[in-house]
Amino acid sequence: MIMPAGKPLLLPANPKFIAASLVLALFTNMLLGLTGQAWLPDVLAVVLVFWTVYQPRRVGMVIAFLLGLVLDVHESALLGQNALSYVCISYMAIFIHRRIQWFPLREQTLQVLPLFVMAALLEWTTRLVVQGAWPHWSQLLAPLLQTALWPLLGAVLLAPQRRPFERDNIRPL
Amino acid sequence: MALDTLDHSPPPIFRQGLSSLSKLVLLGLLAILLMSVDKRLNISQPIRSTVSVLLTPLEWLSLQPGRAITAMGAYFSRVDEARDAALQYQTRTIGQAQRLQQVEQLMQENAHLRQLMDLRSQTASPAKAVEVLYETADPYTQHIVIDKGQLSGIASGSAVMDVAGVVGQVTRVYPLVSEVTVLTDRDQSIPVMNARTGQRYIAFGDPVTLGGSLELRFVPASADVQQGDLLTTSGIDGIYPAGLHVGRVQRIDRRIDTAFAKVYATPMASARGRHLLILPPAKDVPSKPPAEDNTPRKRTSKAQTSAPQAAASASAAGAKP
Repeated sequence: MIMPAGKPLLLPANPKFIAASLVLALFTNMLLGLTGQAWLPDVLAVVLVFWTVYQPRRVGMVIAFLLGLVLDVHESALLGQNALSYVCISYMAIFIHRRIQWFPLREQTLQVLPLFVMAALLEWTTRLVVQGAWPHWSQLLAPLLQTALWPLLGAVLLAPQRRPFERDNIRPL
Repeated sequence: MALDTLDHSPPPIFRQGLSSLSKLVLLGLLAILLMSVDKRLNISQPIRSTVSVLLTPLEWLSLQPGRAITAMGAYFSRVDEARDAALQYQTRTIGQAQRLQQVEQLMQENAHLRQLMDLRSQTASPAKAVEVLYETADPYTQHIVIDKGQLSGIASGSAVMDVAGVVGQVTRVYPLVSEVTVLTDRDQSIPVMNARTGQRYIAFGDPVTLGGSLELRFVPASADVQQGDLLTTSGIDGIYPAGLHVGRVQRIDRRIDTAFAKVYATPMASARGRHLLILPPAKDVPSKPPAEDNTPRKRTSKAQTSAPQAAASASAAGAKP
């Protein structure tokens, strides 16, 4: 595999860690939903896009679809609404995943912004068509916040893979 | 940790599965199909129930931080606040005691009169007390999730009320929890009666105007409606018991260019309390009148097909001077 120069060689990702991070993100979404504020970011979408970019063979569009359905039931939204937008961002994530990995996390931030904006636009369009409801202006903030979360969450989610392969008691890290 | 896992093995050459574009099309169509089925046919309840039961532990866990904070706040709240509240309740109880005694007498009188008039006796259906778990996060709908479901005998369509008046209606029942649609939801409607004049209307939810209100539709511009009029349930639908408080008329727009007035009412129930009461739908509803045999004109047949339309036309007809 061709790798960008200076990129650290990562350990393989632990499937249990991936699953746990997705469940934790769903849990965070539930907690944020309880506050009743529409501008709060969709953390599950960020984690989902992250794993789709970094582990496209493990986390794909089917998992995105199922998580979307779960969120629909929890929010008592129309069944399939979140699923549709999650499938679409997951597709876009697969579409860009080869290019985006050539950049460090901070430079990826601007490249994932269109993903979240398009997912939000898609959701608003579905609402407009199905329910005839316009979004509240504060919801415009959510995709921006999700983009801002990208480097932070990315660093946390990649941390377990950055450990040394062999444990060495003398080495400080 | 072994290095020869999925990450470090080459991708398969032949067994590639579906391309991502075809997956997008398939799953996208499936999502759209689910949406239309959910909106039109109402047969997606099994999927919802299954997912809801699986989600229950996670939902319970997500409620715990909020509960802990509330409990701490209640613990540290000041004593005199509690004393004030106790005093307030006491005065309210004394005020109600007098009326309560009158009510006893009135109920006896009423029962006697009804027997005399050979009317159906209005039996009070057993109500269930429930607790609010959370309001759903969806910003476009106004739903409340309560802590009792199918297993506790909650029926879909039951009326929900709190101390002040009607809150809404149970619209989805899961095995362990149920969902209540609040009156101000855009898809919710309730038959009401103006307590002052006795005219009947249908109130539709409007989440935008006045920060969540009820809109009375089909009110003739000449109808006798005043600001501050009390709206109660009319009881003709067989779902809401008659006489429950629904709201107060807040704003009336009478325009020259339309025959109808725009009337907005604010709901009495704040829906912010923790405890609610579920009233199961009345069972002894009189059967619908039989359809006319001779082929009627299109307009009259349309007005008699469904109860809300009939009520609307009745209210419109009754309001004419």
